[in-house]
Amino acid sequence: MPDDLERQAQGQLRRGLRIAMLLVTAAILFGLSLSNVIRKLDTFTAPAAQLAAFAALAAVLTGEAVLVVLGRPWGALRRPAVAVVLGASALSYTTLDGHTATTTDWAFGAANWVGVVVLLDRPLRSLVAFLVAHELTALADLVLIEGASQSALARFATGSVTVIGFPLCLSVVTVVLGRIGAAAAAATRELERVRTEEAVATEAHRRRTRRFAELSGTTVPLLEGLADGSLAPDDVEVQRRSAIEAARMRRLFAETDSVVDPLLHELRHCADVADRKGVEVELDARGRLPALPVPVRRDLTEAALTALATAESWARVTVVGEPELVSVSVVADCGEVDLPRPATPEVRVEMFGTDATVWMEVRWQPTRRTSKPAPLVAAG
Amino acid sequence: MAADETDFEAGAAGGRRMSAGISAVIIDDHAAIAAGVRYWCEQADPPITLVDAGSRLADVWTGPGAAADVVIFDLELVPGKPEFGELRRLVDSGRRVVVYSQHADNFTAIKCVDLGALAYLTKREGPEHLVPAIRAAATGRPYTAPSLSGAFIADDAPGRPRLSPREAEVLRAWFAASSKDLVAAKLNITVKTVDTHITRVRVKYANAGRSASTKSELVSRALDDGLITLAELNQTSL
Repeated sequence: MPDDLERQAQGQLRRGLRIAMLLVTAAILFGLSLSNVIRKLDTFTAPAAQLAAFAALAAVLTGEAVLVVLGRPWGALRRPAVAVVLGASALSYTTLDGHTATTTDWAFGAANWVGVVVLLDRPLRSLVAFLVAHELTALADLVLIEGASQSALARFATGSVTVIGFPLCLSVVTVVLGRIGAAAAAATRELERVRTEEAVATEAHRRRTRRFAELSGTTVPLLEGLADGSLAPDDVEVQRRSAIEAARMRRLFAETDSVVDPLLHELRHCADVADRKGVEVELDARGRLPALPVPVRRDLTEAALTALATAESWARVTVVGEPELVSVSVVADCGEVDLPRPATPEVRVEMFGTDATVWMEVRWQPTRRTSKPAPLVAAG
Repeated sequence: MAADETDFEAGAAGGRRMSAGISAVIIDDHAAIAAGVRYWCEQADPPITLVDAGSRLADVWTGPGAAADVVIFDLELVPGKPEFGELRRLVDSGRRVVVYSQHADNFTAIKCVDLGALAYLTKREGPEHLVPAIRAAATGRPYTAPSLSGAFIADDAPGRPRLSPREAEVLRAWFAASSKDLVAAKLNITVKTVDTHITRVRVKYANAGRSASTKSELVSRALDDGLITLAELNQTSL
């Protein structure tokens, strides 16, 4: 499938070729053919018709020059232009009085190039069809009007070699160039793809290593204790620790998801852990959240995570985002909790408890301005 | 607990209580919501009489619905088309409206308050907020639920009322805890003071809102009660 890169490469190639063709054809038409027409003007029976034919071809070529400057294709004008070219050569032949395919015939070797110019960006078959039509126009004139003599047909056949052969060679070169362009673009794409895959794999490996390192501090000792029997699964404290570690792992997995509001996304995962235990969870978020780095998000979610994992029956989690403040609050019937110290200095934890209800608020107040806040939708 | 919380907001102006029972009409296209609200109203002490208008707006204007003290209004009878126009008509004809909506966004909440609704609650808020809201509305007083508090703190629209740091703190705490006792205990103030701060913010919003009978009633009562001064109201806009 062509992409931007390929289109660009192809476009540059085509434009170069178009300009080259225009210059070559202009040289043929205005150099060779024009001098021929002027020199033989006296010998023509209808010089006005010859000049008109020449003017028609010149007009088509001028049109091409304008389109090249504008950088546009022929489009809907293409068919009329081809018709003008064929018509001009037909007009020229029929008023040559038996000079078709002789040195006096200036149009036979010029109109073909003008036609090629118009059809350069079309598929090869259009060009072949045009060249055949061009050839048949001359042949028809030769056979029907002039009564083909053997020598005239021989001259016509010799002339045809250049008239058909050269443009055909050129078209084949155009097609080949196009294929080379496509192949080059495909190779570049493939190279980019391989590089991206490599980068993704490296990053994934780095993340896995880091995740494991993060779990090794708290989760691994718990699992080891359960495995060697030093921790009893029916111990309430072990169950609490397990619930917290399970929530931490959920948060860890959620951290790498690419979502609009990572903080809310991680909180929802923590809430889901509580939800599965039958705890009634309310989650409400207001305001706009700035983009928060992972360590800050971890500090902000830690209190909610712990409370949600150990809540008895209900928990309310609220998030407020203001330009200079992000606050995550959790109220739950989870009893006394032990929170690790926040890793970021800009995060403060406040704890307040009455009987079974614990209210914890974690606030992040940056000392400097952070990036532009993203709009925040209320939690579903 | 819930009843005490509202006694202040509903009774701050001198403890005028309705001697007759309160009646409300609910307009909501979900039968389960209407049935749930009816149960809450029956369980309330004293009970509230509920008229179910279903999704027929006409039943709010005629019959027993027309005589109800409070209109409990589901904002979105047709999905995706909040009925702000109908809310405005109800407020303009002097009805006391509690909006009960599944919308949780700030814009809708503040727009409803601006149009003159006395309370705005999301459907995640249950009887502990809806019943006090109905009681408050029956006497022409506002009820500010936690979700509306959250909308007030997060409001960053130009021309929003200016809140004092203490008001913002109380509002944030009310939004987070959803219990005025807990807020009072944490901030070391009385529940009455918590209510005063919340009501002051609510009056500032009412003052900034569209002219309506509910607005003038609300603002003049707050002025009479000395909750807020005219000077404070005049400088609330940013």
